[in-house]
Amino acid sequence: MIAKTFLKETKELLRDGRVRIAVAIVFLLLGAATWISARQYKNVNEQYVAAKKAERSIWDNQGEKNPHSAAHYGTYAFKPKYPLSLLDQGVDKYAGTSIFLEAHKRNEAQFSAATDQTGLARFGDLTPDFVLLFIIPLLIILLGYNSFTKEREMGTLTLLKSQGFSSWKWMLGKWMALFLPILLMATALFLVAGVVLSNLKDFGVFNWGSLFAMYLVFVVYYGIFINIVLLISARTKKSGISLVVSLCVWIIACLGAPKAASNIAESKHPYPTRQEFAANVLKDKKEGLDGHNPWSKEAKLLEQEVLLEYGVDSLHQLPFNFDAYRMQKGEEHEAEVYFKHYNYLKDQYSNQSKVYKSLAAISPYLPTRFLSMSIAHTDYSTHWDFADAAEEYRIATQKFLNGNFAENSEYGNWGYRAEAGFWKNLPAFDYNPPELNSTLARNSSNLWLMGIWLITSFGLLFLSTKTI
Amino acid sequence: MLSYNFKYELKLLLRSRWIQLLSIILLLLFGFSTFNGLHKIEKRKKDITAAHSEVEENDAMMLKLLDSVEQGMEVSASRWTIPTSPMAVGNYHPRVAAMEPQPLAFMATGQADLFTHYVKPKVSGDDHTLNFAEMTSPVQLLFGSFDLAFVIVYLLPLLIIAFSYNVLSSERESGSLRLLASQPIRIRSWVLQKMGLRFFWLSVIVLYALCIVFFMVSPPLEQVSAFLGLFGLIIAYMLFWFALAFLINLWIGRSAKNAVALLGLWIAFVLLIPSVLNQLGNTLYPIPSRTLMINEMRSLKAEVTKKQDEILDNFLRDHPEYAINDTTQFRGFYHRYMASQRLIKEELAPMINAYEDQLRKQQDWVGIFKWFSPAIIVQESLNQRAGTSTQDYEDYRKQVVSFAGSWREHFMPFLYNNKNFSQKDYPDLPKFQFVPKSFSSLLTVPLLFLISIGLFGLGFFVSTKMEKNGILTTS
Repeated sequence: MIAKTFLKETKELLRDGRVRIAVAIVFLLLGAATWISARQYKNVNEQYVAAKKAERSIWDNQGEKNPHSAAHYGTYAFKPKYPLSLLDQGVDKYAGTSIFLEAHKRNEAQFSAATDQTGLARFGDLTPDFVLLFIIPLLIILLGYNSFTKEREMGTLTLLKSQGFSSWKWMLGKWMALFLPILLMATALFLVAGVVLSNLKDFGVFNWGSLFAMYLVFVVYYGIFINIVLLISARTKKSGISLVVSLCVWIIACLGAPKAASNIAESKHPYPTRQEFAANVLKDKKEGLDGHNPWSKEAKLLEQEVLLEYGVDSLHQLPFNFDAYRMQKGEEHEAEVYFKHYNYLKDQYSNQSKVYKSLAAISPYLPTRFLSMSIAHTDYSTHWDFADAAEEYRIATQKFLNGNFAENSEYGNWGYRAEAGFWKNLPAFDYNPPELNSTLARNSSNLWLMGIWLITSFGLLFLSTKTI
Repeated sequence: MLSYNFKYELKLLLRSRWIQLLSIILLLLFGFSTFNGLHKIEKRKKDITAAHSEVEENDAMMLKLLDSVEQGMEVSASRWTIPTSPMAVGNYHPRVAAMEPQPLAFMATGQADLFTHYVKPKVSGDDHTLNFAEMTSPVQLLFGSFDLAFVIVYLLPLLIIAFSYNVLSSERESGSLRLLASQPIRIRSWVLQKMGLRFFWLSVIVLYALCIVFFMVSPPLEQVSAFLGLFGLIIAYMLFWFALAFLINLWIGRSAKNAVALLGLWIAFVLLIPSVLNQLGNTLYPIPSRTLMINEMRSLKAEVTKKQDEILDNFLRDHPEYAINDTTQFRGFYHRYMASQRLIKEELAPMINAYEDQLRKQQDWVGIFKWFSPAIIVQESLNQRAGTSTQDYEDYRKQVVSFAGSWREHFMPFLYNNKNFSQKDYPDLPKFQFVPKSFSSLLTVPLLFLISIGLFGLGFFVSTKMEKNGILTTS
């Protein structure tokens, strides 16, 4: 029964001109999207490599300079693009790509692509994730909306019933007939993507495991949509109504819920404005040690502490340059302040994530989107991860520079210059995104949500075909 | 026939609960989106007010400090923050350059979530590194906002499609078309009348919902013209989709096929054409790489720093007035710094302009090709009416940069004449006032109407051809 239903449905789909056109359009879109994304990806990566190299040579060739001047001169950390971003661009367009690393200050990543584009950019881009997340579910609706209703409309349901058929086998046949073409499409797409990506040179480490995980996520997503579409088809009496209801579900899940979630998340857990954030940081900074100000209360306190520790009675007798030591202590205080304020932002975001997760109850799109972005390393958490790594590097750089200053000069000697070759000793900034396992572990709630969606929707479909 | 049709159609729509359903859905959507928009505006206003009051507080402290210094008292502030130094005022007491929301800003978020609404330019630092990007979670930017513009541009067409995809086909499918064919009316006029009536009722509901929205915002009377303009725009957009539905109804046949075709058009107009145009614009007029800009900027700065003394000399040669008025002839860090900054700004100008030029070219490109999709036209027009379009923010940026220039210039005579800043100089500090410019074009709505009417015309043409083949037999 399963096989027969499956064969019959597949034949019908193959004979239907609509289906052929729709599938052709989807493939065309996918092809165009992949081609555009691949070009963009290559472009961005070339720029990244060039910028990284140029920046390092600027840093290395500073010449003789006071280490603290070099700290103020600063350097840049550039965010790399990862192979799977070819499939899911995620939030890359909206997140900055470079972070300026300087003394006393943690800077935000700046220059996101979206700020350099026209308002049209907000409509979205023709990228593979757009086709995977929006268009293929629509294709599922188109293929499956009349799966059950047509039996009613043509009167074949009565015939079937009189045969004493097993309804779950019948349903499973129909399910397979819908699932198989989608599965084939997804498999073909991911295989092609895998081959293309593994042949690109110099662009990060491509991992077949990650690609496979992403593939599974999308297959489950399509499974959920197939369940929903068939469920609606089984519960409605007319094809037209089934189509309209399925479309409503699609609109709510893919368009409405994410936008509503973003509004609710923002109004419940708002971010401070950039200026507010800066003002708050400044306020906290003032309450502690300022490395540049030897006259403040905190500086005097530090002075006494150090004198006591070394058992000397003047700063000149210390074995190192106290100016640089104070600078380093100030740097540590400032780093702590930034840590606190950025943690507040992270807390706000994790609260916002809860809103997104609670709205996943009406939208399987949300957990899928978050999972796929995470696996592709184009999500917000990876961005945070990168920013944190850059901050760690910044703190280490300051320590490295202040250390050189403290060791090689004596108190009061602001004229000290480190030799020209010194800068090369600073290790280069290197960032590695989290591994697949830790990405999945971090997203366990999204995995759960998708699992629940899949099982519940299938269970409902099973129950409703029993009573058809 | 029209009056009969009118009565019958209204009864049908009421009995099938379409009108009730549409009213409720539209009211909910309009209400929710307006609520979201208002919430955003409220936050924006609150932020700006807070920034202003913070500056006021700081100013009071600054004046107190100045007073103490002028009376020869000891002050506890750090040496370089004492406001007798003009550079301290310029750096530690910047003014707020805010972009206040326009009256209709609640309608369309546009670029408002991407860009900040106030900055405080200082005398040091570069104009082009003024960060105009707002601190937002990129996830929010990715998903966008559930605003009135989203309801109008994305959802309203879908409601129209659901409302009208089977006007003719359902009659054929239920067999009543043959009965109708015996009536003394042409099928296409009959479909047109039915469509017209549906359009009329939907317009009434939209008008009603829009009135409620504007009542929620409690507008002053001057917004009547804005209201009418907005209503005109929505009606024109609705007419476009009804025209498409009319065409498809005549052209294709079965309900499900109609729905699929209309949905395909929706995807093409609302999702595909905008994104393809955007990407083509980016490919044709690529924005130069920002990362490479950073490299260039830094090598230039490194070069300039080495030649600071020379630059200052040249600068003073060009500005002899500073050398004459100053008796002390003291030259410190800021004298050199400000002179080099000026040079850096001049040198970088062509590079910075390249970004603006490319963006302008992209904008022009969109300006031409937006006529491919009414969704773009309406979205753009709504953003412009709300004062949240790309051009609005570009304009704001320009105003801020010019203000930053005058803020810097204001302190130059103080600096190079080595003159202290005093209490009596306070009232002369430049202030920023955002002057909104209107970017919306009056032509948009009439042109959109023309397009829609053209589509109806096409519908008539098509149906004449089809009538020769017999409308009852087509399926």
